[in-house]
Amino acid sequence: MNIVAKDFTPVTNVPPLKATRITKEYLGGSFKALDDVSFELHDNQITAFVGPSGCGKTTMLRIIAGLEYPTRGRLEVFGKNVQGPGPDRGMIFQAYTSFPWLTAMQNVEYGMKILKVPAAERRERTMNFLKLVHLEKFANAYPRALSGGMKQRVALARTLAQNPAIILMDEPFGALDAQVRWEMQELMIELIEREKKTVVAITHDIEEAIYLADRIIFFSRQPGRIKADIPLTFKGGRRIKQKEELLEMPGYAELERQLFAMMREEIK
Amino acid sequence: MSKSRDASVSSLENLPSENAEAAPLYIPPKERFFEFRRQPSAQRAAVLAFIGALAFFGLWEAGHYLTPAPARKFFPSIGEVGSALYVLFAERNFLHDVSISCGRIFVSFLAASAIGVPIGILMGCFGNIRALFNPTLTAWRYLPAASFIPLLLVWFGPTDQAKIALLFIGVIFFLISLVLDNTTAIQKEFVEAGLTMGASRRVILTGIVVPAALPAIFDSMRNMIAVSWTYLVIAEIVGAQDGIGAVMMRAGRFLNVDVIMAGIVTIGALGLLTDLIFRGACRVLFPWNVERRS
Ligand SMILES: Nc1ncnc2c1ncn2[C@@H]1O[C@H](COP(=O)(O)OP(=O)(O)O)[C@@H](O)[C@H]1O
Ligand SMILES: [Mg+2]
Repeated sequence: MNIVAKDFTPVTNVPPLKATRITKEYLGGSFKALDDVSFELHDNQITAFVGPSGCGKTTMLRIIAGLEYPTRGRLEVFGKNVQGPGPDRGMIFQAYTSFPWLTAMQNVEYGMKILKVPAAERRERTMNFLKLVHLEKFANAYPRALSGGMKQRVALARTLAQNPAIILMDEPFGALDAQVRWEMQELMIELIEREKKTVVAITHDIEEAIYLADRIIFFSRQPGRIKADIPLTFKGGRRIKQKEELLEMPGYAELERQLFAMMREEIK
Repeated sequence: MSKSRDASVSSLENLPSENAEAAPLYIPPKERFFEFRRQPSAQRAAVLAFIGALAFFGLWEAGHYLTPAPARKFFPSIGEVGSALYVLFAERNFLHDVSISCGRIFVSFLAASAIGVPIGILMGCFGNIRALFNPTLTAWRYLPAASFIPLLLVWFGPTDQAKIALLFIGVIFFLISLVLDNTTAIQKEFVEAGLTMGASRRVILTGIVVPAALPAIFDSMRNMIAVSWTYLVIAEIVGAQDGIGAVMMRAGRFLNVDVIMAGIVTIGALGLLTDLIFRGACRVLFPWNVERRS
């Protein structure tokens, strides 16, 4: 009797993003920012790009976003070759990008307006996401009346409301105070868990990377290459609600120590 | 909060308060007139503005009385200029000249803005458009507007068009370069956020770049309309029958210094009014904008 092994790989199981041999040169080829970088993102995973300053994390993220083009290489979103930016890849910047001439509500609505979401649905989603980022009381406030953390929450809501497949974040909490920062990290974990998004987040903060990520891609210093691809198995596939829980988890301290050692090796 | 608090973290919550009486009054350091970046209160600002104006008029009046008698009539007092102003309005229909001049400023500035602002924005957005126009426009900026007077006279004669054209030329090239700067100065992430949200170029231009740059553009327009006022007299020197500048030139021919100075005061007052209107419009149009310190 012949037992045919069942093929469990469905045809739709293409990665949300596949980067193949990405190289980026600047200054007419005399400066190499990224050198032959290949990786795949996994569905509903948070991937953190970590590495020393200037190693090409931002360049890689902007190439994924379509805001910059690689010198060589290929980029596929769900198996389709992409050129240029698109709403399938939402981006949250370190600089505050909530538009100052729109209220918090209008800001969140704006992305959906661009996608021509019908008005009724738009309203409903807007209020829903404002609630999720705890800004329903500030719906009619202009960004100048909002704190840095609140502005970033507007940006988060605006991006999520557009329902992109992939969310890209370049040090989104880098400009925030330490306490606002971990509040935002916890909020982000909650929302990403809820909305089931594939995320790439750049951070130079090792602790933040360990807390947020399901996987860390560590870049070596110039030219940027992938030095290590680390699945955060010590979390047991779980997302952690409160940051201090991290401290009690076996494996946490060891991982942090290793990452520090890697970072130190790179910058010396 | 967990009840078993970490022993190493002691709490001050339960310590008895020994200071039942009020805390000592804090005595701030003495206020100094020259304090870096300190903004005066609204009242004080008004008082200071009043003192500044008073000083100016005081100097003027002193200048009048210190000028020796034979030349004194060429440096009239405030009162004399005031009465000249009164006579102008009451007996010589000066209001007509003022409105003619305002009309010329308005039409020329409207035309300069209607053309200059869109060009400046497009140049600020698109490198190719900038490369197309910028070298030529830069050259134009260095040409003194007054040097076009002979040309404009040949083309238009001593008409309204000639004056409006001069005011237009005097303003538009600077306006374009200011608007260009205002446009390039917007946060680049605004445009990038638009791109990643899937906005079309038209939407990014009209829905993001324009509103982001508009308050600064309005500021530039406010500064350029001031320049426009400074060109008024030059524009109205040549063969003008009416307008503030024409009245002043005619007075000059008869050495009526009080009328000349009345004209200057009028232009100053109108300039101040224009500025106030622009500032007010800014506040109404861009309530979301952070109050700029000027
Ligand atoms: N437009 C550019 N022209 C030239 N060099 C650039 C440009 N953008 C980035 N770089 C260089 O590429 C390298 C990687 O930059 P970046 O991606 O911003 O690093 P990271 O985000 O990891 O700090 C840096 O050395 C930076 O100076
Ligand atoms: Mg960076």
